Amino acid sequence: MKTLRDEYCIVGVGETEYSRASGRTTRAMAVEAIRRAILDAGLTARDVDGMLDYQGGDSTLANHVAPDLGIRLNFYMDVMGGGSSTEALIGLAMGAIEAGMCNTVAIYRSMNGYSEFRIGGTGARAAQPVRGLDLAQVPFGMRSAGQNFALTFMRHMYEYGTTSAQVARVKVAHSRHASQNPKALLKERVTVEDVVGSRSIVKPLLDSCLETDNATCLIVTSAERARDLTRRPVYIMGVAGRVSKPRLDFHWAHGPITRVAGYYAKDIVFGQAGIGPEDVDVTGSYDAFTFTTLLQLEEYGFCKKGEGGQYVSSGIIELGGGRPNNTSGGHLCEGYTHGMSMVIENVRQLRGTVDDYCPRAAEGVHTYDYSPGRCRQVKDAEITMNLGWAVPPTGSALILRR
Amino acid sequence: MPQPVQYRGMTLIVPDNDSEWTEFYAHARAHRLVVRKCTACGLMRYPPTHACPWCMELEWTWQELSARGTIYSYEIVHHAIQPGFRELTPYPVVLVELDEQRGQPTPDEALRIIGNLVKPDLTPEAEANVAIGRRVRVIFQDLADHMALPQFTLADEAAPGRVWRLPE
Repeated sequence: MKTLRDEYCIVGVGETEYSRASGRTTRAMAVEAIRRAILDAGLTARDVDGMLDYQGGDSTLANHVAPDLGIRLNFYMDVMGGGSSTEALIGLAMGAIEAGMCNTVAIYRSMNGYSEFRIGGTGARAAQPVRGLDLAQVPFGMRSAGQNFALTFMRHMYEYGTTSAQVARVKVAHSRHASQNPKALLKERVTVEDVVGSRSIVKPLLDSCLETDNATCLIVTSAERARDLTRRPVYIMGVAGRVSKPRLDFHWAHGPITRVAGYYAKDIVFGQAGIGPEDVDVTGSYDAFTFTTLLQLEEYGFCKKGEGGQYVSSGIIELGGGRPNNTSGGHLCEGYTHGMSMVIENVRQLRGTVDDYCPRAAEGVHTYDYSPGRCRQVKDAEITMNLGWAVPPTGSALILRR
Repeated sequence: MPQPVQYRGMTLIVPDNDSEWTEFYAHARAHRLVVRKCTACGLMRYPPTHACPWCMELEWTWQELSARGTIYSYEIVHHAIQPGFRELTPYPVVLVELDEQRGQPTPDEALRIIGNLVKPDLTPEAEANVAIGRRVRVIFQDLADHMALPQFTLADEAAPGRVWRLPE
């Protein structure tokens, strides 16, 4: 397969605050996040001529966002979709630049995911008419993401003996990371007992992400263009977008149902990058739920299939461990951004400028003291990987290096 | 066009031009579980799709099934999203592997179908009785003159293999 390894870069990142009551429009939030990313990159509005965004009927489109900042576009596209769109759109941005359509692309996601269109499917979304393929699931009280995904993890527990206490370790790790993150909505560290003893939403899922109001932005340009910028760019080694299992209409028909899309994405993304999982220093495995992190780490080869429970329980995914996952606290604890914040976090890890509580974090000076309320910078992180999740049969991936 | 069906606060819409579902629900209302069978390769598929996912053939016929199977996976919903399901919690959702065409055309494929596991009176089965490996049969829940939902109820049959449920 063709590779554009190291030919494109992420040069800017930005976000709004994470809250549960933004009190403003998705337009206002998008504009703020994009502006911050442009300034972070050391660019001006004139330098950005491409825009991509994704949404589910819950956001403001690029044609109303770009003009607010005085951006004239040579290319833009609004995409339907949620999780796993982040990495897919980074790949599409590279393609648009490669095709000569534009030079620098801002990718954003803006949503009032708690105060307006609740991501969890409650409120207005629960009342939508049911037709077409939805008839195969929704009339049986299977509408939210948690309800849609739980069958996958139950079968994993049956086939491999994965336990509730094991998958709870994902939440424990991410809560420890969030305690080092001033932006995180949930900064309190939790224990396995806290997670296993918590109220059930759907069994066997043991923890869900946090519906959040926020906007986020990433800026992609060519390595050639990036060389003119003051900030050190982060290079894109490989990308895979919305890779899918067979029978995407009803993936239950084509097992094993414990297999998720990463099984098919791993060869694409590792093949482009020319590396393997052992070369990755930090992972960002999408944590819509604790088990989504676990299953993806298996599929991408960070451990053997079926051994995800042992892997996440070993301490390796925690700061100070061999390969920390979601060092910002992820969607479980920092806030839900449909995947964007996990890429933003990895960019900052590679720059060495994670925004933790270290007084000189912005200058790249860190203590590497991972006790509560201190540092979350991984020392000398060279290569990061994002494992993006949409649904069990669809996912994306991204490998970055400094 | 048939009227939309109101069920547990949801509006279920199956218009006359719904070329996938209209006849499926007409059969279900007559208490027959049917799937589409490819006239070229003979493989059956669910949910109803326009073409054969294995050979792209457009011709198919409805095939009635024995409507028996085994629980392949399940979940217990304790916090309902749809308001109409709140009074049913905790309710089980089951993924059932039907007896026909198991392990075909590849070992990991099968005719699998989602429904609720209910008692014969259509109320949710108790959580303690839900387990992977248990035998089930289809029971139809009539919703309107033109529509019934295929649901599942425990069958009075010994489980052929391992029976497993989530530890408490």
